[in-house]
Amino acid sequence: MATQDQTTAAQTNVPPVVTAPQSSTRFTDWQAICVIFGLWRRQGVRLIVGALLALAALACGLALMQVSGLRLAECVLGELVVTTTLLRWVGAGRVTLRYAERLFAHDAMFRALADLRVWFFHSLAHGAAAGLGFRRAGDMLSRLVSDIGALDGLYLRIVVPLACACLTFPALLVIVGRQSLVLGLAVGLLFACASFVVPWLIARSGQKAAEQSAHLLAHLRISVLDLVGGLREIRAFGAEGRMLTRVQAADAALLQGQMAVARRAAFANALAFLFGQIAIFLVLLAIGGILFPKLGALEGVSILFLSVAAFESAVTLTRAGLQAGIMGASARRVVEMAVKPSVARAQAAQQDAPANTSIRLDNVRFRWAEDRPWVLKGLTLDIPAGSRVAILGPSGAGKSSLAALLLRAASPQSGHILLGGEDITTIRPESVRSKMAWLSQATHLFDDTIRANLLLGRPDASEEDMWNALDQAAVSDVVRSLPEGLDTWVGEGGIRLSGGQGRRIALARTLLAPAPILILDEPATGLDAQTEQEFLRTLNSVTEGRTVILIAHRLTGVEKLDRIWRLSDGVAKAAAA
Amino acid sequence: MSNEKAAIRNWTRLQSRLGRQAARSVVGSGLLSSLAGIGQAWCVAVVLGHALVGWHAGGQGAGFPAWPFLLFPALAILRALCMIQADVAAARAGIVARRRLRGEVMASILAGGPALLRRTHSGVLASVVVDRIEALDGFFGRWVPASVLWMAAPLVILLPVGILQPRAAVILGLCGIAVPVGQAVFGIGAAVASRNQFLAMTRLQARFLDRIKGIATIVLAGRTEDETRRLGDAAEELRVRTMKVLRVAFLSSASIDCAMVVAFILLAVLDGRQALAMQASGPSPALQQTVIASLFALLAVPEFFAPLRSFALAYQDRAHAQGAATAILDLPEVTERPVLDGARTVSANGVMVAFDDVGFTWDPARGAALEHVSFTVPAGETLVLAGPSGAGKSTIMELLLGFITPQSGRVLFNGAPLQSIVPDALSRVVSWIGQKPVLFAGSLRDNILFAKPDADERELASALRSAAVDEFLPTLPDGLDTQIGEGGFGLSGGQAQRIAIARAYLKNAPVLLLDEPTAHLDPATEKSVFESLQRLAVGRTVILATHSAAAHMFKGRRIDLQNGRVINRQGAA
Repeated sequence: MATQDQTTAAQTNVPPVVTAPQSSTRFTDWQAICVIFGLWRRQGVRLIVGALLALAALACGLALMQVSGLRLAECVLGELVVTTTLLRWVGAGRVTLRYAERLFAHDAMFRALADLRVWFFHSLAHGAAAGLGFRRAGDMLSRLVSDIGALDGLYLRIVVPLACACLTFPALLVIVGRQSLVLGLAVGLLFACASFVVPWLIARSGQKAAEQSAHLLAHLRISVLDLVGGLREIRAFGAEGRMLTRVQAADAALLQGQMAVARRAAFANALAFLFGQIAIFLVLLAIGGILFPKLGALEGVSILFLSVAAFESAVTLTRAGLQAGIMGASARRVVEMAVKPSVARAQAAQQDAPANTSIRLDNVRFRWAEDRPWVLKGLTLDIPAGSRVAILGPSGAGKSSLAALLLRAASPQSGHILLGGEDITTIRPESVRSKMAWLSQATHLFDDTIRANLLLGRPDASEEDMWNALDQAAVSDVVRSLPEGLDTWVGEGGIRLSGGQGRRIALARTLLAPAPILILDEPATGLDAQTEQEFLRTLNSVTEGRTVILIAHRLTGVEKLDRIWRLSDGVAKAAAA
Repeated sequence: MSNEKAAIRNWTRLQSRLGRQAARSVVGSGLLSSLAGIGQAWCVAVVLGHALVGWHAGGQGAGFPAWPFLLFPALAILRALCMIQADVAAARAGIVARRRLRGEVMASILAGGPALLRRTHSGVLASVVVDRIEALDGFFGRWVPASVLWMAAPLVILLPVGILQPRAAVILGLCGIAVPVGQAVFGIGAAVASRNQFLAMTRLQARFLDRIKGIATIVLAGRTEDETRRLGDAAEELRVRTMKVLRVAFLSSASIDCAMVVAFILLAVLDGRQALAMQASGPSPALQQTVIASLFALLAVPEFFAPLRSFALAYQDRAHAQGAATAILDLPEVTERPVLDGARTVSANGVMVAFDDVGFTWDPARGAALEHVSFTVPAGETLVLAGPSGAGKSTIMELLLGFITPQSGRVLFNGAPLQSIVPDALSRVVSWIGQKPVLFAGSLRDNILFAKPDADERELASALRSAAVDEFLPTLPDGLDTQIGEGGFGLSGGQAQRIAIARAYLKNAPVLLLDEPTAHLDPATEKSVFESLQRLAVGRTVILATHSAAAHMFKGRRIDLQNGRVINRQGAA
């Protein structure tokens, strides 16, 4: 139990800006990519067919170059083997296969990405996600989204070209080697260098560079955010010049890093190109009978045209190598985040929550992480079903931690939390949460309609239920005045509404939820004094029969409450009701 | 709408022109590389031609000339150098352009000032500066040079081919002309298809990001399974819609493939027929010439189509530019603040502040924010602005800070209208403390010295003491050098407000504007912050906006605001 608690604490410790999540599950880039391939198994057939089509298209491309060269050569020698029909077939095959390949491979990739996104969302939701509601983790999450976006290229830009090169390599060896073993080996070696060694080297060096440039980009983003967010301060203190210099320095560092990467990539590209040129030169020498046993003219032409086409296809792999480093790091971050085990997935958590909704905290000690100070030091509370209580305290006193514990987004290091007399660690977290509706500072308004946002609280709510909830949250007038009413799009994070209106929509959503326990964390933020009082009065009447846990730093005096506790120094002291 | 489109087109055109100057070296290297490629094709054709004709003649050919074997590797090295030069120059063009654009965008954000934050979220502005401009790399590095090269390089190749094998040049030219036609037809088709799908696609893409950001809300509301299923449906819909666009879009690259294949087959068949006819009459120098020219034309085909292909690949980079253009054009233009005649400074000690019948409207649809507001605060005295949120307190603050200018009436500092005061002079006489100070990424020391970078240790120490920052300094891990702000140590609301007070002490300006400085604090902290503020207020002209009951600690004048009008006055306000 003790060790489990320790790991639990370590996992919930998600600092505001996470560069590498502190997690017991660490992956190498390669392992992470393997996990992603594992996820794509369901689309395996499509992905393989896509790659095969790419191979067929490539083969047609190689053949087209070869047979048109041969056709011309045969005409000179007067012995026609390649007919115009063959030429036409190869040509038509090349065009249609290439089109089919691109269409099919993209379709397969989109299916695979959809799987990846759903998997990621699902595992995040079942893992550490609940704890994120109590942490400012938006930056980390948007970064993860762009990481998943980066994985778009894994199949199309790396897997498919690599598969093609893997097929071209033996084909080249056999076809050239049949004419001249030495030449075959030499051309094969050069092909391997151009399409495997150079990309591998650039991938290895690119990995470090990718990490560094991600770091520099983050640095630029922070200094820009500082400048934009601090525009008032900057104008008030006349600091425009100084802040601009800071941003420009961050910008210069980023661009300088990118220039170094670009230079390295340019050299790698040129190197891969030169390998191809050497191979073609060797074939030329062989045709001329210099250094190598002399090739027959016809064979010479055929091999030469084949090599030109083969090496042309190998050039894309250098670019793939450059991206491999970035993708490996993205894959690692995504997988590490997603496979983090659930915060409070205790082995015994099988039960459903009991019907009784009384809450009891018994000597609960809690801190977010080993190296953080204790937040709760032996907290004991008793909240009977249907009672209305307030928990007061200055910011940082542990009010939000208490909400996290009740919602099982975190577990106490010692002590017990009982719901209806059952220890909540024995109850399924989903079942605990179905009993509680929670409104916090971090409650997210989704970029959707007001209706969709409300339905998140209760999917089967009727139109009337929704208007009721909006009435109770003192926002129905605002919604009624909107031209599209409930179907108004609220924008990202509710940006099309004012801060107070957005909060009230979120509150309506919480009130709409059928849960018997309401946890309201500073519900009146963003309301002016008069509206706040009206709202709290409404709250007295509409929550009849439900347990209300009001978390606030002060009371206005109009709340009807059964009990009041003051949280300070990690314990609760009863205050007069 | 069409106006906006024209603006975007103009912007893209202007950027292309600017980019083209920087891309000159890329284009030059590209052309040189194409020429070298043609030279190599000639070398190869000569060797092959000799081999074939020699073979045909029964192995007693005249032997190979030596020059192709020397020229080929030389040209290969030249091409490799050209490639390096082109890649590096393209990267540099992208970097120069991004640096320039970032500077321009930052300048217009600074010019727009805090008023900009009223209509745009700071995260959105930051993503314009960072991500939108970062995405323009391809536009300047790839699209701009490719848009020149796709015309120039094929023409450069057509010239030598035309001299050696006019018929091949005609075939290549015709196939080449077919490419832009195909591109245009399918490109327009793809544009129509993507326009039909665009809104749905953007919303579906945004949906994933949004659900991930709000994942805690979903989990704690117990709606995980539902949302997972919906996300799956959305991803599927996104795929179907995207494929509809791609089906047409890929036809345009298929048209390049098609043109190339046709060129290959026509050249092989027609030249083959000619060679067949000539070889019947035995080996001859003419046969050799024809064979070499035909092989040369065949080898030139990939070189001819390569620039067209990279043009098609770079096409998507242009779309990024249009996205960025929309965002950048949305920002205000940098306009030099008109400095009126007789612009003046304000004497640094003792400032009287007055509003004379001031009116201001943010948004005509929502009515005036301020109407006929007048008051006077003599030097060294305090005015409390009270009233519910939305009554106009913040608008008065923004007017006093010069972020906005009144639409009617005058704001006076020592009798001088605010607009006539040099902006630098205004920021020297005014200190401002808001609801939540912005802490910049950096050390605590840097954050306080932000107010006065050249302050000495003694000044700093006295500001720390006066603002009571020294009371919580020992609890911080590294004292004054603790990193705070984004990604650093989190300070509580009261501690952050004390940093702001310390800044104001350091700045030591005669006018102090306090905009709900205790809005986010609990009563105990509020009281002690107000005490520090009272000490700071001594000898300064203070305007305090608040709806806290604790404001009675500030003795002086008071006006009550409601819906932008003064409804009550106390003292001599």
